[in-house]
Amino acid sequence: MTSVMKSLTRPLAPEERERAFASKKKEEVIKSQRLPVRYHVEDFDVEDRPRRFLEAFASILKHTNYRVALDHYIRVTSRCARCAVACPIYDATHDPRDIPCYRSELLLSIYRRHFTVSGILRARVLGDPGLTDEKIQELADSYYNCTACRRCHFDCPMGIDHALITHLGRYILSEIGIAPRALVVSTREQLIGATGNTSAIPVPALIDTLEFLTEDILDEKGVHVPFPVDQEGAEYIFFTAVSDYMMEAETLKGIAAVMKATGDNWTIGTGYYDAINYGLFYNDQVMEHALQKMQAEAKRLKAKKILMGECGHASRTAKYFYPTYCGGKDALPVISILEYTRQALKEGRIKLDPKVISETVTYHDPCNFARSGWIVNQPREVLKTFCRDYVEMAPNGRSNLCCGGGGGTVSIDEIRPYRTTVSGRLKAEQIRRTGANYCVAPCANCKKQLRELMEDQGVQCEIVGLHDLIYKAIILPPDLPSDEEATKRSAGHSVSLPEGGAS
Amino acid sequence: MTAWIDFARGPLFRLCFALMVLGLLRIVINTLLGVKEAYQRNPDKVVSWKEILRQTLGWLIPVGRLWKQRPIYSAISFLFHVGMIITPIFLASHILLWRNAVGFGWPALPLRVANWLALLVISTGAGIFLGRALHPGARKLSKFQDYLWPLLIMTPFVTGYIASNAVISPRTYQEMMLVHIYSGDLILLMIPFTKLAHCVLAPLSQLVTGIAWKFPAGAGDRVAETLGFADRPTWVPQARLATEPVMAEMAKKGEIRK
Repeated sequence: MTSVMKSLTRPLAPEERERAFASKKKEEVIKSQRLPVRYHVEDFDVEDRPRRFLEAFASILKHTNYRVALDHYIRVTSRCARCAVACPIYDATHDPRDIPCYRSELLLSIYRRHFTVSGILRARVLGDPGLTDEKIQELADSYYNCTACRRCHFDCPMGIDHALITHLGRYILSEIGIAPRALVVSTREQLIGATGNTSAIPVPALIDTLEFLTEDILDEKGVHVPFPVDQEGAEYIFFTAVSDYMMEAETLKGIAAVMKATGDNWTIGTGYYDAINYGLFYNDQVMEHALQKMQAEAKRLKAKKILMGECGHASRTAKYFYPTYCGGKDALPVISILEYTRQALKEGRIKLDPKVISETVTYHDPCNFARSGWIVNQPREVLKTFCRDYVEMAPNGRSNLCCGGGGGTVSIDEIRPYRTTVSGRLKAEQIRRTGANYCVAPCANCKKQLRELMEDQGVQCEIVGLHDLIYKAIILPPDLPSDEEATKRSAGHSVSLPEGGAS
Repeated sequence: MTAWIDFARGPLFRLCFALMVLGLLRIVINTLLGVKEAYQRNPDKVVSWKEILRQTLGWLIPVGRLWKQRPIYSAISFLFHVGMIITPIFLASHILLWRNAVGFGWPALPLRVANWLALLVISTGAGIFLGRALHPGARKLSKFQDYLWPLLIMTPFVTGYIASNAVISPRTYQEMMLVHIYSGDLILLMIPFTKLAHCVLAPLSQLVTGIAWKFPAGAGDRVAETLGFADRPTWVPQARLATEPVMAEMAKKGEIRK
């Protein structure tokens, strides 16, 4: 188990660099938006950008808690570059502009210059013109090169959290109209669109999918496993990245099988069934509104707990920000399905067949689960009970490497070459070295990114969710007569829609 | 020259020391007040104090953490800090000065040990300077003052070491002491106004970061309002979904902001 960080130091070859940083954007768009970044941005007002940036910055400082951190960081930052070694992106590019501290300094210098007395006085004396359009361009480029994985936070002796600054920088940029179109369009559909979710899946399509999954399980396992919909008063209301309903059938089947085995009462709400919260990546207002929709749906169905599917950023926003925006101490408890399954296994409520998975299995820690130390051991405990050949990658746990698609970058399709050659480069090597057949990545973002990474880097490893493997190995008790009836009935309808639910 | 030296280690030292203490108190109090305000603005009172404490202590005694990234540079930096803090405080002649002025003192380090520590600070100070100058990443990040500080901090150590160890003429001795005391005073004076303030602020970093991740509810809406975007085609949900009546109800009761 040797650490990849120490042994892989070959910088990008010139042709790799060219491919990674190539922009597919049209020249005239770059010119009219005055924004030489690789990701697409919806049209916005480009006039007088520095002034508007500073207004947005000032407004955010006034209403939020960032100021206390910025005041602190500008005093303690010592620019020692120790964080450089922690950053997988710097490891690939060896470009000083990719050192976390350099990225942070972009915003800290604006803060120092425009929002501190000494900075303003200094500028008077030295005749510093202040924020320029070029600097905003550099910010817009730099803050979406970072995957906000927070790995560098552990290596700053001064305790600066560069991901917090990236988060703030993106927030300010979004308030002047600079945010990746991929994220903005999805969010708009989620918050004011007709379908109310980021993938624009209408309720009938969701119901179809769930019915199809139930039939699938019946075929494969011979057991009726329902996906309860709109059940009032359920113990758990289930939210997962809505893209799972299109892409991660196996994960969902695994989760339903676990719920069936434990017999706990759970439900999916047709009023709102998307856990994705791109607000974490670029705008606090978005984050708050998305979480409030979740809260409203949980209230509507009178659920007692919120159960989060296999999705890192969604689980993190729910765990750490849901209480902030939805009731403080009285907010419903948030539980990850990873915690739930491990607990159920410990209590002997689910049984896994240790003979099914004979391939080599490894585990990738999604940053949003592991960095805070919330979910590190739980999935490992589960995997070790039924995977005979389980191997670790290094580094892992809290100091894991990001898949390369964190911070919402995975949803930006036009920067795929960057993600698979630069930000995911160490990860690919790390997975290759485990020699695993399966890499378990219980996060919708990580799964998409890692699959693209395996493809582009030519690594033979199948990326799966934790519950994909559980589904293969789970031993479901045979149906009781009442279940069989349900099975017969479910030939056509495995889920029943309450009236008006699919409007 | 004797008068200049007496002035520097008498009134000037007292002034610089007092300004340092008051300045540091001010920034610590300001930081804590900022943290308190931020904490009160956030409705969610769940803060992982244990994690904050663990990280803070981990960085105060970073022996286990040094070896992970840039180990040589980190070790040099650690030794530099240890020597720099211990030597001036526990030097016999400094304690004597203090005792004469204030009336109490504390045990001193043997002179031999203090000498070795001074050499340690000088050599690791040079190491820190070179570590910054030779590392391409650090070079790109560094500002003028980042190079200045190690040199300025080494100055009283170099002159102090020479004055107390080298065989030099009384005049040279006085010159050395002059530089020694004035540079020492200057450092004390600068601490609260520069990045040297990390001597008291660094232990608060984890707390500040932990609290800064706690966002005030409704801040996003207020930011948009302030910027005049309240009516833009934005993220505010409209009454189209099954959740809407419930959300309206919750807003009416004041459970969420609409």
